[in-house]
Amino acid sequence: MILSDLLGSVAVEADGTRLGTILDVRLEVSGAPAQLLAATVVTGVLVSPHSRFSTWGYERRGEDGPLLIARLQRWVHRGTFLVAWDDVERVDEGRVTFRPGYVQRDAMLPRATRERT
Amino acid sequence: MTEAMNTNDADATRQPAGQVLDAHLHVLDRQVLDRDAVPVTTVDDLELDGIELGARIEPGSPPPTVSAILTGPQLAMRLFGGHAPAARRIAIPWRLVADIGTVVRLGVSGDDLDAGWVERWVSRHLIGRIPGGRHDPE
Repeated sequence: MILSDLLGSVAVEADGTRLGTILDVRLEVSGAPAQLLAATVVTGVLVSPHSRFSTWGYERRGEDGPLLIARLQRWVHRGTFLVAWDDVERVDEGRVTFRPGYVQRDAMLPRATRERT
Repeated sequence: MTEAMNTNDADATRQPAGQVLDAHLHVLDRQVLDRDAVPVTTVDDLELDGIELGARIEPGSPPPTVSAILTGPQLAMRLFGGHAPAARRIAIPWRLVADIGTVVRLGVSGDDLDAGWVERWVSRHLIGRIPGGRHDPE
């Protein structure tokens, strides 16, 4: 599967309730050691309840400037949450279904990532 | 949203073991440099291993992994929709990636990769035929 098949998919609960759109896929470079870099695994998906349009990451990085753009972006992607890959039950074309009892987590990136990229 | 737990610190106990990245935000469209810092291509898409469409994911299954950087016709497919046949995709295996920062750095020379074949072809067959096209300016 390719990443862009997952981006823009509709995120739904187990009972079919629509939650929003898959905005991004969280990765972690922490898998089995490899030649140069450890294997990179998918740890979760980010869901935006209000917009399917691309994000500049303001809601995940805590950046404030330029103020007007930051506020607009935060408003567009208000309520964005992270769902761990363990809580994903099924991936269909254009649709990702979460398990019953899935957990909505804080979408904020760790400090190390925010400072590095 | 009746069954979901909503929490801001549910994941607080689990510290990431390695570098955390968001694929769209930190990897897509980034420039790819080879080990000599020569530009190779850009990341047009990523190939993910371990996701089977329409199949239930059993709890405790190993997570999907990133297997390749895709480039070439993939950018147009991402923007306008559709799929390039797998045989037409130009892939750089993810195991060749050495570092991900503001650019994606490879641990190999770009001359060995399929991703640069268009540039090599143009260099050899078009630029190379122009008088003076085979050496540096004097």
